[in-house]
Amino acid sequence: MSDPTATIHDLGYRRYEGPRDGARGAFDALVWQGIRTMFGIGRPFKAKSVPVFVIVVTMLPALATLTAASASGGQMPVPYGILIAPQLLLFVLYGAAQAPEMLSRDQQHRVLPLMLTRDVTRGQYASARLLAMFTAMFVVCLAPLLLLYIGEISIAKQPTAAFARMGGKIGPVLLHATMTAWVIAGVSAALASLTARRAYATAAVIGVFLVVAAITTGLNELAGLPDGVTALLDPIQALRTMALMLFGETTRGMELTPPPPLPLFLVVLVALGAAGAAGLVWRLRRVDL
Amino acid sequence: MTPPLLVARDLTRRYGAVTALDALTVDVDAGITGLVGANGAGKSTFIKILLGLVEPTSGTAALAGHDVCTERDAIRALVGYMPEHDCLPPEMSAAEFVTFMARCSGLPANAARERAAEVLRHVGLFEERYRPMGGYSTGMGQRVKLAQALVHDPRLLILDEPTNGLDPAGRDDMLALIERTGREFGMSVLVSSHLLGELERIAERIVLIEAGRLVRAAPVGVLTGETGTLVVELDADAATLDAFVTGLASRGLAVRLDRQRVLVDIPDGADPAQVAHVHDAVRDAAVACEAGLLRLERRRGHLEDLFASAAA
Repeated sequence: MSDPTATIHDLGYRRYEGPRDGARGAFDALVWQGIRTMFGIGRPFKAKSVPVFVIVVTMLPALATLTAASASGGQMPVPYGILIAPQLLLFVLYGAAQAPEMLSRDQQHRVLPLMLTRDVTRGQYASARLLAMFTAMFVVCLAPLLLLYIGEISIAKQPTAAFARMGGKIGPVLLHATMTAWVIAGVSAALASLTARRAYATAAVIGVFLVVAAITTGLNELAGLPDGVTALLDPIQALRTMALMLFGETTRGMELTPPPPLPLFLVVLVALGAAGAAGLVWRLRRVDL
Repeated sequence: MTPPLLVARDLTRRYGAVTALDALTVDVDAGITGLVGANGAGKSTFIKILLGLVEPTSGTAALAGHDVCTERDAIRALVGYMPEHDCLPPEMSAAEFVTFMARCSGLPANAARERAAEVLRHVGLFEERYRPMGGYSTGMGQRVKLAQALVHDPRLLILDEPTNGLDPAGRDDMLALIERTGREFGMSVLVSSHLLGELERIAERIVLIEAGRLVRAAPVGVLTGETGTLVVELDADAATLDAFVTGLASRGLAVRLDRQRVLVDIPDGADPAQVAHVHDAVRDAAVACEAGLLRLERRRGHLEDLFASAAA
């Protein structure tokens, strides 16, 4: 961009006769701006802190494991599920911190009514923001798994043979990242759209995930709820158990009481994310301007 | 014939028991129109209905022939809205924000950037436009708000209290900018304010609403035209002034003393001969009490009088 600063001409007002992309263009702009906000791109350093922290911290264990596996000459197995399970809370932290950055801020600074007078309807706004939220979450959730996957293939003595052996593992990698992103994006977007106060929204997202975990654990231990049901009710535990099942790993607890079948997990998680998405749309249809 | 820019018919909006807008019916032509009313008179509700942000409880409104409820798509590109409230994300720069708003109006990315730079220059923001808006003064913020309303080249600007929170100099700048936008850019402007004085300066037409109802809609010239009061100033002391007033009253005229000035009512619908007769009576009374006549003229209306008559 260049400004003719040598002389100041008042060119007068010029009409805009160019193309207008209407709702389509507005939707793209909303998604893009949303993704930028989710990663703090073009924002001060402070806005980048949580995204950078979560991405780095979740990828470090993957990197360490790969280094160890590489040192052992590819003999040490790379445990995807066991590595990703503890990162789930960090993904929740990311959603909790960044969803309000995008959704609560639009209400806090009252940009939402401004957008709605343009080529943006309430429904389009909700779906564009949800898409941005999901895309960003997907990238963050996929990063450590993809690092493990690419790393495991490239450190093998014969990468082509390794690829032939475990090429199909990309399926579970993508599926798990999709499910994690969908659930956390849906739930945190819905909660963030409820309030214009970012701190409340962040606390609400973390609170909901932790409280649900606490309640299901309590029910499991005190009311004797079967482990299988607990694993389904608590989204974090469901994602954890699903990761282990997807990557063919098991824990002692899972050996004692086999978890529910995988499709059931998928159904529950898809429904949970969809409930969040529906909540977001419902809320944004009603929010006062 | 093209339809009037804005047509409202029996526009009503209730919030629970509160009636914000009560059967408002008004036509507005192109040009700069001032929307005047006290706080809570229903200005913002009216504007939000025009923008499609609020649904009317009953009644209809149309902009440039498009119904505001059913033909939103046709209206979006026509209208630019500058809200009363703050709407600037502090961590964004003005350039980024205005570009984003242009894109929300469907302008392609490059065109949006160019238009944003252009309108920001128009409102007088230069190098500052790359700084985060959190550090802007109120005046700069108001300019950005105006810029984002202009960026997609609308045909009608709707400005809700654009001078709110500005100091007198900033107020003058903003009004000049609005006037220029309306006169030179060929845009119609609907500008709301609770301050009549400023609208008197820039608007061609005033729409006055009070408690959600239309009080008057007329060109500024008509509203500030001659009134039925004759202002007389005399070079006289208090005793002579009293004698003058008594003398006029004895000639059958309604007279009031307003400090050093004497106000004489001219009956409604008086023809020129009757007005001349009143003038003669004033002259004769002044001669009778030997007072020097300094000034004799019809008082011009002020928009403030509209409020007085609306309240009465």
